[in-house]
Amino acid sequence: MSSSDQSVTAPRPEQPQAQRRQTIAKSMAEAIAQEMAANPAVLVMGEDVGKLGGVFGTTGGLLDSFGPDRVRDTPISETGFIGAAVGMAAAGMRPVVELMFVDFFGVCMDAIYNLAAKQSYFSGGRVACPMVLMTSVGGGYGDAGQHSQCLYATFGHLPGMKVVIPSNAHDAKGLMIAAIRDDNPVIFMFHKALQGMGWLGTVPGSITHVPEKDYAIPIGKAAICRTGEDITLVGLGATVHQALAAARKLEAKGHSAEVIDLRTIAPLDRETIIASARRTGRLLVVDDDYLSYGVGAEIITSVCEAALGDLKCAPVRIAHPDIPIPFSPVLEHFVLPSAEKVEAAALAMLGDTN
Amino acid sequence: MTDITIPDGLWEDGAEAALSTWFYADGDHVAAGAVVAEIMVEKTSYEIQSPAGGTLHIAIAEEQMVAPGQCIGRIS
Repeated sequence: MSSSDQSVTAPRPEQPQAQRRQTIAKSMAEAIAQEMAANPAVLVMGEDVGKLGGVFGTTGGLLDSFGPDRVRDTPISETGFIGAAVGMAAAGMRPVVELMFVDFFGVCMDAIYNLAAKQSYFSGGRVACPMVLMTSVGGGYGDAGQHSQCLYATFGHLPGMKVVIPSNAHDAKGLMIAAIRDDNPVIFMFHKALQGMGWLGTVPGSITHVPEKDYAIPIGKAAICRTGEDITLVGLGATVHQALAAARKLEAKGHSAEVIDLRTIAPLDRETIIASARRTGRLLVVDDDYLSYGVGAEIITSVCEAALGDLKCAPVRIAHPDIPIPFSPVLEHFVLPSAEKVEAAALAMLGDTN
Repeated sequence: MTDITIPDGLWEDGAEAALSTWFYADGDHVAAGAVVAEIMVEKTSYEIQSPAGGTLHIAIAEEQMVAPGQCIGRIS
């Protein structure tokens, strides 16, 4: 795999050249539509998912194609409709529900972590919970502390759920199809900055070629989206693009950075991360969730447990500090990760002080 | 050369519109009918399709304000 810019728009070796470019929003809606067409048990519920097509574009066109019985606008009660989805999944349906902002998980968490996540275990495997909870994450556009959180680690910490976070449209479609087909509850976290909604800004690397046919990307497999020799940069969602941008800057200074896109945090692909860190000897994790007890901590611990002797320097994590996300754009961008922060941290680890 | 033009009447007159996304890079080959760009008007997006197959020449950059009837690029 080359280490050129091509790795951003066509991050997987098996991908052909861009022909049919889509945003993550469009690819999510296309994935849901294809699964709805293939399986009458697949249903969609949430706030503004019908006529509006989802405030982040995730359900565009579904109401027209499948009608109000299968694409249902709900009242603003996550407690009600996400609880209902758990029951529907127990009864054999495959609901896809949207929690508009992950920040609102508080009012529906009992249905998620005490009911959905435990249904299969408590029933001795007799009652599965094939539901998908899709939810927007991330800030950077001045929406303040109740509409900008990521909370990856909050969901990754609790057993019984799978948690996926796509960084580009190709992966978003494949992960959504895999999530709908999975018999376990899957939390599908999509980053607002990657969604392709103009008013949120759009990271160009998130718009990729998306094959028209249906395809599933295995849940639990990370992707190496750029190969390198000197340092391993691990990102998820939006931070993958910051890591890739930093890798290009590092290349110009003579350093070869490998970039791993986690794609899934539960289950976590420790094998791919450890193998890369063993080879490069340096590990930098870039996360836009809160720092303490976070994704970076889990990854660094996993690598230290398995490969401490192969590391050339102490692993480093970049994350949002342990404070609520500031409203002021100046303060918000001061605390969020960026390509510049990744590059600076990597240069320090590489001992490059020029 | 075929112009890529924003159709009239997509949105109400007077609303501010911006070219939010080019889905292809300048010089890319695009198929006739492919969605090449998106226009944002407040929080609603409108797709712009390529009127012909060929090489894309971008005339208006992302984030720029646009108006109905305006040529935003060409296909050769």
